[in-house]
Amino acid sequence: MRISGNILLAAVLLFLIGPFVIICIAGLSAGETLSFPPQGLSLRWVARVFQVESFRNAFALSMTLAIGATLAALVLGIPAAYALERYRPPGAEVIRNIVTAPIVVPGIIVGLALLRHLVIPTGIGVTVALFIGHTALLVPYAVRVVSASLVNLRPDIEEAAVMLGASRLGAFMKVVLPNIRSGIMAAFIIGFITSFNQVPVSLFLSGPGVTTLPIDMMFYMEFNYDPSVAALSGLLALMSLAVVMVAEKVLGLSRYV
Amino acid sequence: MFQDRRIGLWLLAPATLFVVVGFLVPVIILLSGAFRTDGGWSLGNYLDFFGSSLNREVFWRTFRLGLTVTLVSAILGYGVAMAVVDKGPKTKGRLIAMLVLPLMISPVARTYAWLVILGRTGFINVGLENLGIIERPLRILFTETAVFIGLIQLFFPLMVLPLISALENMPRDVVPAARVLGANWLTVFWKVILPLTKEGLVVGGTLVFVGSLTAYVTPAILGGSKVLMLETLLYQRVSVANDYASAAVIGVILIAMSVLTNILLKKLASVRKA
Repeated sequence: MRISGNILLAAVLLFLIGPFVIICIAGLSAGETLSFPPQGLSLRWVARVFQVESFRNAFALSMTLAIGATLAALVLGIPAAYALERYRPPGAEVIRNIVTAPIVVPGIIVGLALLRHLVIPTGIGVTVALFIGHTALLVPYAVRVVSASLVNLRPDIEEAAVMLGASRLGAFMKVVLPNIRSGIMAAFIIGFITSFNQVPVSLFLSGPGVTTLPIDMMFYMEFNYDPSVAALSGLLALMSLAVVMVAEKVLGLSRYV
Repeated sequence: MFQDRRIGLWLLAPATLFVVVGFLVPVIILLSGAFRTDGGWSLGNYLDFFGSSLNREVFWRTFRLGLTVTLVSAILGYGVAMAVVDKGPKTKGRLIAMLVLPLMISPVARTYAWLVILGRTGFINVGLENLGIIERPLRILFTETAVFIGLIQLFFPLMVLPLISALENMPRDVVPAARVLGANWLTVFWKVILPLTKEGLVVGGTLVFVGSLTAYVTPAILGGSKVLMLETLLYQRVSVANDYASAAVIGVILIAMSVLTNILLKKLASVRKA
């Protein structure tokens, strides 16, 4: 039983992680077309990734979008989670359902709805709409993760701070925030990755000169069969690996399971 | 200290306002299109949508793939989760990090890897040709099998993580106790492990099923226009034909299926508990 369990575990890990190893190697190919095993090894396609202008622009947009939308979602989500956990105002449950609703709606619908019923009627740019769509998508994560860490923090610590003369805001800043710091960091990492990798929401909100990196990669691979997308995919996989390792060191991801 | 409800409402206002204006209103306007035809409110769009045999095929394919992906992940998930919880804390942490890793990597990169493996000049075809097993490359890409493989890799972590945490919370000695009392492995799983971990199965099952229904990148890259699922059909209807009525209908179907799955699986878990 134990042996067959370990064989299954190894097979599944190979199935989950093997493709990333293969794509990293395929991206190091010296040949003209995508193949595995590659025709010789070189860094030419890795270098090419940095020369393709649309990749560079798309990477910059995706980075800005991921950081901006995550920060915005936290700025909106932290006070909301705090109010939901501590003040429980009338209609709190209805409001909780509203602010976590974006998680239920498929991203492609959100993107199309924003294009048709926000961008077209109001004339705002697609970049702004992208920012709104991504932020709306991340608010539920921010509220949920921050709520979860507030539940574990006893309210009487904060009450003690206020009794000892701290202002409400001071007590929140000096007592609550430092205690939910790891929750906020977890929410930031989840939000950043969700936005950076997001395809469906951005699908209809791409225009001339405005494409996020994953969308640009999908366009590129439709018309090109060279190993540059493989090289870029490999680079992104390594970037994610770095994020996971940092997160594991700082937060201990396994604790969240 | 937290009695002042006005403060609570003021703290909630920005997030609520943002989600209502920047999400809820546009989405509701779009989805209401599913219930409107020229003459006013009607269900005509649904009849039109399901009147097409292509649309029906896509609907059933989406449902079928969602179901098989969920079932296969659940079966593999239990095997893997049981092997993981047996390990010491340090190995367990490493294994969980390896299981989480695919979730963090761009789905486009993840799916592209399968092109390299399953494609005409890919790993599998070249390998089999070199071994002399096949003469011409197999067609794996742009089939339902390719989409199935891609979806399993994408969503397996969402199944195995809740199962691991459910198995961790299960009392340690119930399995050996059942074994000592003469139950075979199948009975132990069915009568002891499954009932004690069904909350994890419900969470994982919901995530995987709903995730598969609403997947876009995997069917777009590995299925193409040959193996459409509901989301890729939606994209095609809008970009090729400006068909917003079908888009709204698909949207309502997807949301309804997600909500129903949530309710149904939660019910199932609580009934079996009683």
